[in-house]
Amino acid sequence: MGTQESTTAGRTLRARAAGLTDQPLTLLTVAGFWTWLVVRWTNDFLLDGALIDRNTSFFPTAPFEAAASTLGGLAASLGPVGFPVGWVAGFFEFLAASIPYLPQLATGVWATILLTVLGIALGFVIAVPLSVARVYGGTLTRSVALGYTELFRGTPLLAQLFVLYFATPLTTIIRELPAVGTGFIPAQAFWVAVIAFMLNSAAYQSEYIRSALNSVPEGQLTAARAIGLSKVDGIRHVVLPQGLRYAIPGWSNELVYLIKYSSLASFITVRELFERTDAIASETYRYTELFVLAGLLYLALVLSASLLMEYVEDRVAIPGLGTTSR
Amino acid sequence: MPPLPLQSDWAFVIENLDLLLVGTGVTVALTAASILLGFLLGFPAGAVEVYGRGPLKRAVETAGVVLRGTPLLVIIILLFFGLSVSSSAFVTATIALGLRSAAYQSQIFRGALQSVDEGQLEAARAIGMGRFQAIRSVVVPQALRRSVPGFQNEFTIVLKDTSIAIVIGLGELLTVGQNLYQGGQSTAALEIFLTVSLIYFVLTFVTNRSLDRLDDHFSIPGGERA
Amino acid sequence: MSDPLLALDDVYKSYGEEQVLSGVSFEMDAGDVDVVIGPSGSGKSTMLRCVNRLTEIDSGDIYLDGDCVTDADTDVNELRKQVGMVFQDFNLFAHLTALGNVTLGLRKVRGMDKATAQEQGYEHLEQVGLSDQADSYPAELSGGQKQRVGIARALAMDPKLLLFDEPTSALDPELVGEVVDVMRDLAAEGITMLVVSHEMGFARSAASDIIFLDDGRIVEHGPPEQLFQNPQAARTGEFLSRLETAHEEE
Ligand SMILES: Nc1ncnc2c1ncn2[C@@H]1O[C@H](COP(=O)(O)OP(=O)(O)OP(=O)(O)O)[C@@H](O)[C@H]1O
Ligand SMILES: [Mg+2]
Repeated sequence: MGTQESTTAGRTLRARAAGLTDQPLTLLTVAGFWTWLVVRWTNDFLLDGALIDRNTSFFPTAPFEAAASTLGGLAASLGPVGFPVGWVAGFFEFLAASIPYLPQLATGVWATILLTVLGIALGFVIAVPLSVARVYGGTLTRSVALGYTELFRGTPLLAQLFVLYFATPLTTIIRELPAVGTGFIPAQAFWVAVIAFMLNSAAYQSEYIRSALNSVPEGQLTAARAIGLSKVDGIRHVVLPQGLRYAIPGWSNELVYLIKYSSLASFITVRELFERTDAIASETYRYTELFVLAGLLYLALVLSASLLMEYVEDRVAIPGLGTTSR
Repeated sequence: MPPLPLQSDWAFVIENLDLLLVGTGVTVALTAASILLGFLLGFPAGAVEVYGRGPLKRAVETAGVVLRGTPLLVIIILLFFGLSVSSSAFVTATIALGLRSAAYQSQIFRGALQSVDEGQLEAARAIGMGRFQAIRSVVVPQALRRSVPGFQNEFTIVLKDTSIAIVIGLGELLTVGQNLYQGGQSTAALEIFLTVSLIYFVLTFVTNRSLDRLDDHFSIPGGERA
Repeated sequence: MSDPLLALDDVYKSYGEEQVLSGVSFEMDAGDVDVVIGPSGSGKSTMLRCVNRLTEIDSGDIYLDGDCVTDADTDVNELRKQVGMVFQDFNLFAHLTALGNVTLGLRKVRGMDKATAQEQGYEHLEQVGLSDQADSYPAELSGGQKQRVGIARALAMDPKLLLFDEPTSALDPELVGEVVDVMRDLAAEGITMLVVSHEMGFARSAASDIIFLDDGRIVEHGPPEQLFQNPQAARTGEFLSRLETAHEEE
């Protein structure tokens, strides 16, 4: 739909991620989150539950239950002024109630990360030629690329998932492939989701890269041609290295979006974080605790991604060129 | 249920077009209600992030980070099954989509407010306007114009994300498609979901074109296009 | 004897460590046109902005028409209705036409109805020779035209005093003349103006007094003939001759 990513919008996007990542508390939380995840995965996947049983949490629930009931009693005895104590008690209750489910959710987080990383990485591979076609292509390649992005950006990701999963033979084809669904390799639904995310994300990523390429001054390619590079080489060695740096803020945003939208894979039975949460919730009816917990886990993933991308942006920054001075 | 008479899959879709159109109506209504709620909450939130201070500003910022960092799916489920804010799926979906959209719209408005040159506020103060009045008569009108492209983007995002309301059984477009497929003719999956996608595409296309018009209409002659 | 229209009495202003104004005092009478000159960073803009309290002073007093306007209980908006300001980079309201720029203050600050405001707005645009551009937006105007709208906007509030902060320094040389001409007309009409400008032609012909500001202090203050022909302080002479050279190089 040719929504131009104006510089205003670009700045807005960038500002979204900033501001929350420069606080020590955020850093500490993210560090704790990843320590827990890595230990959990190592224990569950690599050591086959050597440290602790796969379904047992690292954290005991008893102390939190005790704290909750003590504080609850205290709150009750304080009468109407006891409500702040009651809130703290409620928080401990929440912890006690959610801790037993953490191991299962950690497995879901693994699938969520895998979906997101594969989707965005494979999408990037398609997005680069797509955006180059949009900017430098002839009439035909240009309109094919345009049609592709318009189509995928103009329809809901969930509808795309449904088309691929229910309406194409993709599932059957993938199921027949060797090794799918055995050992470490997830079952076919997962791969259908990866393909959908790849196709969808390619369209969005190509929009960000396209507008970034457009912001590389025309003289750069002219100068590249002037020293004897072909057009393709000029684009590859001069325009893309600059343009991709410009694209980082938008691209980070797309990464954050995909982390969240990967939850839609639950609709086609992929056992990622949302699906795991939902499965446990419909057994235990603890909807509030479980989905608050899931929300916090997604939030931790999103914050991690923002931190990582800020780091990447700093690392690849070139003085006088780049995203910050824009 | 007696077996369905054998018919071609496209004929099946066409026969049920009226159902799909009803779903489209729900989708459009849900989009409009959510965008409106998002605007009513998001615009003041953006202003608070720029001009506010203290606990109010921190609270608004934190709510924004949480809403932007959580999948819509989680927000909807939490509101419907967890907190049970309403027994109506439509109301719940509107609140979920509206809250999340407010969090994004606040960032659009914040960026737009910040992009208005400081000299504008100063010049307004210099002719004797109070701070609030200067912001209202000089900064806000310019910022609103500059937020049209961001708003356009947000509009189509909300439109597409109404499909996620399928999870609480709201009869919007995708849900109708899913019902036709599962409760109707399962061989028609491709035809049904392509038709549904096409309708979404037309909706986003029309929305974008109309908002382009709006942008042209409100753009300041000779000025940079928002 | 009547009060001076504007009086600064021992005004101090610092930004953190940096002392920007160090004991500035001077007076001007109604109808005076004082031109402030001085090197970059000497505090000229700061001094001007202190008068309408876009910047708050640290100590000292400023009087407008006998009233102390630097009291804590002075209503700054009331003050600013009486003191107009013209900016170096125009700061025209980008979303309003030339007429809209001129009438905004009349309507929102003076509470005038739209028709009356527009009638007056036209008159002020006429005064700066721009009544034919009333419906143009700032982006459709040349720099010189923009600044004339800026002047009309300030005039519209019917101020007792007009402040100009380098009104021509953002303009292409060939556009300076039209703005200076308007300023000369205003001076001739007896409007009181405090002008930061290095436009020596204007200073020579229209100024009642020249104020030379250096390093936050008034080094010299007197009628143009005295400053230009017979500067008392060595620094004044140096600065003026440097200005002269810069001009010839252009
Ligand atoms: N808001 C501010 N915060 C900090 N320092 C300031 C501020 N405004 C001005 N200054 C400093 O005060 C000093 C005087 O500035 P001012 O703008 O008054 O100088 P000026 O004489 O108008 O210079 P120019 O000819 O360059 O406009 C400068 O060193 C400037 O850096
Ligand atoms: Mg200055």
